[in-house]
Amino acid sequence: MRLLLLAVLLLLGAGAGALVLRRRPRLADGVYVTLLLAGAAAGLSQAVVVLAGGAESVVAVAGTLPGGPWAFGLDPLSAWFILPILGVGACAGAFGVGYLGFERSHRPVAGTHALFVLLLVGLTGVVTAQAIVPFLAAWEIMAISAYLLVMHDHEDADVRRAGLIYIILTHLSTLALIGMFAALSVNATGHSFTELGLGNRTPGAARTVALGLALVGFGLKAGAVPLHFWLPGAHAAAPSHVSAVLSGVMLKVGIYGLFRVVSLVGAPPAWFGWALFGLGLVSGVLGVLWALAQHELKRLLAYHSVENIGIILLGMGVGVLGVAYGQPAVAVLGFTGALLHTLNHALFKSLLFLGAGAVLRATGRRMIDELGGLGRRMPWTAVAFGVGSVAIVGLPPLNGFVSEWTVFQGMLAAGASREPLRYAVVGAAGLGLIGALALACFTKLDGTLFLGHPRSPIAGRLPLRDPGTVMLGPMLALAGLCVAIGLLPAVVLRPARLILTELAIVPGSGALADTSWSADAMGVTVLGAGLVAAIVLLLLARRWLPAGGVARLAPTWSCAMAVSTSRMQYTASSYAAFLLGAFGPLAGTHVSRTADSFHTSVADPVQDGAVLPAWRMLGRTSVLLRGIQGGRLRWYLLLVIFTLLVLLLYLTKAGRAS
Amino acid sequence: MILGPLLTLLLVLAVAPALPGLATRTRALLTGRRGAPVLQLYRDLARLLRKNVVYSRTTTAVFRIGPMVVVATVVAAATLLPLDGHAALLSFRGDLVAFTGLLGLGRFALVLAGLDTGSSFEGMGASREVTVSVFAEPALFLCLTVLVLATGEISLAGMLGERLAAVWFGAAPSLVLAAAALFMLALAETSRVPVDDPATHLELTMIHEVIVLDHSGPELGMILFGNAVKLALFGALVTGVLLPLGLLPVWLAPLVLVAGLGVVAIGVGIVESSMARLRMNRVPQFLVAASALAVFGVILLLR
Repeated sequence: MRLLLLAVLLLLGAGAGALVLRRRPRLADGVYVTLLLAGAAAGLSQAVVVLAGGAESVVAVAGTLPGGPWAFGLDPLSAWFILPILGVGACAGAFGVGYLGFERSHRPVAGTHALFVLLLVGLTGVVTAQAIVPFLAAWEIMAISAYLLVMHDHEDADVRRAGLIYIILTHLSTLALIGMFAALSVNATGHSFTELGLGNRTPGAARTVALGLALVGFGLKAGAVPLHFWLPGAHAAAPSHVSAVLSGVMLKVGIYGLFRVVSLVGAPPAWFGWALFGLGLVSGVLGVLWALAQHELKRLLAYHSVENIGIILLGMGVGVLGVAYGQPAVAVLGFTGALLHTLNHALFKSLLFLGAGAVLRATGRRMIDELGGLGRRMPWTAVAFGVGSVAIVGLPPLNGFVSEWTVFQGMLAAGASREPLRYAVVGAAGLGLIGALALACFTKLDGTLFLGHPRSPIAGRLPLRDPGTVMLGPMLALAGLCVAIGLLPAVVLRPARLILTELAIVPGSGALADTSWSADAMGVTVLGAGLVAAIVLLLLARRWLPAGGVARLAPTWSCAMAVSTSRMQYTASSYAAFLLGAFGPLAGTHVSRTADSFHTSVADPVQDGAVLPAWRMLGRTSVLLRGIQGGRLRWYLLLVIFTLLVLLLYLTKAGRAS
Repeated sequence: MILGPLLTLLLVLAVAPALPGLATRTRALLTGRRGAPVLQLYRDLARLLRKNVVYSRTTTAVFRIGPMVVVATVVAAATLLPLDGHAALLSFRGDLVAFTGLLGLGRFALVLAGLDTGSSFEGMGASREVTVSVFAEPALFLCLTVLVLATGEISLAGMLGERLAAVWFGAAPSLVLAAAALFMLALAETSRVPVDDPATHLELTMIHEVIVLDHSGPELGMILFGNAVKLALFGALVTGVLLPLGLLPVWLAPLVLVAGLGVVAIGVGIVESSMARLRMNRVPQFLVAASALAVFGVILLLR
């Protein structure tokens, strides 16, 4: 715990350094990056020790503070979430120095750096708090620093609107959480998590309410459909390195909360599992479908976060169902898959957002239909982005496959068990659909950004090149981690199972003591290594062919079409049109077609179809109430007397009853 | 122990290029033509491997790596199937996800290689290919779900191995439905009628052929070989579900498998000669029908 405390101090020092030294940019950047990396290293080493089975510790700030002890602790679950917070946080923070460096000439950036570390500290606080009040305090630090970071480009009206929606929704989530903690406290003796857990081991009305509110509060934070609509706007509006942390890490705090609640209440009921499962399936399919309809780089990636949260919730749902129906082996697979996907998504999604940031900085264009052919001029960015794409689609041999494979195993094992848990096997077809849609979406993105010809005259004239080391380094580090976990899944499977043992999320030790999982992990390693070796061998063998080295270059043939211009290429719109058309109104796209152009625009079916109309309706009906605000004194007095009368009547009636 | 599966795998890889030829020959005979020899693809491959290659100036390394990934992934996927109904070269729990994932990686590489040329034809083919795959993927998982429910195993070697032979008669209706769905998927995944027409000469109606328009020489050969092996893999799935190969002795099973592959290829040819290619916007419906068959199989086992 001492190391983690040191990490927090170093992080705060990094922010303070950036602020104090803002007149000397070079020195400030150096101090900021050094302290940030040192702090992350300190915190990560502590987390790794705990995950390797080392002792966990709790620090209670003594004294009679309001709301019970301010306790912070690092158990394996907290340590697991510290990994993305500090790991991805350090990568994104370092990237941010290069990314914001371009803005230094016309805008102070020190404040953004300071807020960024404050966000990391808030996130660390949320996952280490062991009592209600420090949890909510850290939660607010996180929510508000994130809001200020989203508002970085506040000159833009769209950014201000996205920020407004975000701040309203994040406080709705806080409200739900306060309600949840209140319900949990009904039967508990104190405000620490241990006491809350002891008071809620048995089913009851208070516990049911608490679980329902946890779904709302943490579901909002995680961005599960239909509570996702704040997410794409906010994540697209923030600076790219902040988007990386918001999408890759901050959403996971919702997942952390759900895991924490599950660990507190012992065996959660089956309806909770089916609710998570259903939310996961809906979020997964709709998230990726709506992502496919997007043509703005960062909004597309943000919708993919909704999809991946769906996959995590599917895994959690299978886990809870496994516990509820007494199938610990299924539960272990589901929970492990959810934990692994939490980490893996943090890695590849932040990688993709950083890649998007590099593209944005180089081109200044958000709409992917204006880009194309970047792969030739920004090869390293293209490679890193490509690794992230293969990982997010869940294809072997990268890390996305490892976690989706584990979730799949959970669902298939559920199918091989008894009723009614067997019905969870339908999730496999759903997850298959999600994977295929993700493949369509990322071939669209990679193909439109990096391959072919530039799709607009401007993009063809831009002087493009890969970003410098400070931006490229973090991307390549994240890509390396994606490959490493994909090839050696045992490294992350072992600590994930330790969490389930230590927190007693899965009752009984039989399923967790079973070590046959390591043979499965070895199978994945062999398959991945074999695949890579086969591709390399084939590429080498290609040179030994009789005509191996001889190649002629020519323009693209495409059946000898005489005139071929870059405008005749498929765009992201036309690429996705056939598929979106097959899904009809579910995709929320609007097609505009003229003789020489084809474009699809897209609206979020929840936000633009339900929430905003309801909001406007509320505004219209409120007009009816305006009559009583006429500004006449006697009218107001009458209202006051009327209210008093009603209250008096109520009191006399209540008094008689008691 | 490992020798048997390895020899079966090599046998399947060796006979795979004959399957498209067999299908095309069947179609030709049934429509009153003589048709190309069954072994034509072997000659084509041998010729393509000797040829020089022309690359488009627009392309990058993605275009060159794509075909290699296609071949590597289908061969890696083949190592996961218990081809002779006894054992697979590599098996772990949940390996069916790796099987579909590998086919997905091959598709990812092929589609990007097509988009790399910057041609509108290739873009069109890529768009269609991923659309077809979106509808094929859930159907494939539903077919595999039937096997999971029937056998209680979650690895391919388990669900298609000796355990399947033991429960085959009890679950026969579901398994037949799954095999029918798998056959429909084989048509879609390997670009045969009624989803795609390998013999068409009009780019606007193509799916697979139009993605590979710019590939030439050894790269084109790789893609043709990869597609043939893919047909063999789906043929092996259909055969494995319909015939419990695990009941046969180890030396006989591979021969029965090859015979089964031949029957599947002839079946493909019969379908091709008896119906036309579907209109492009009907293709999703065809695949949803395959899903529906598999769903019936699932329901029969869940009741």
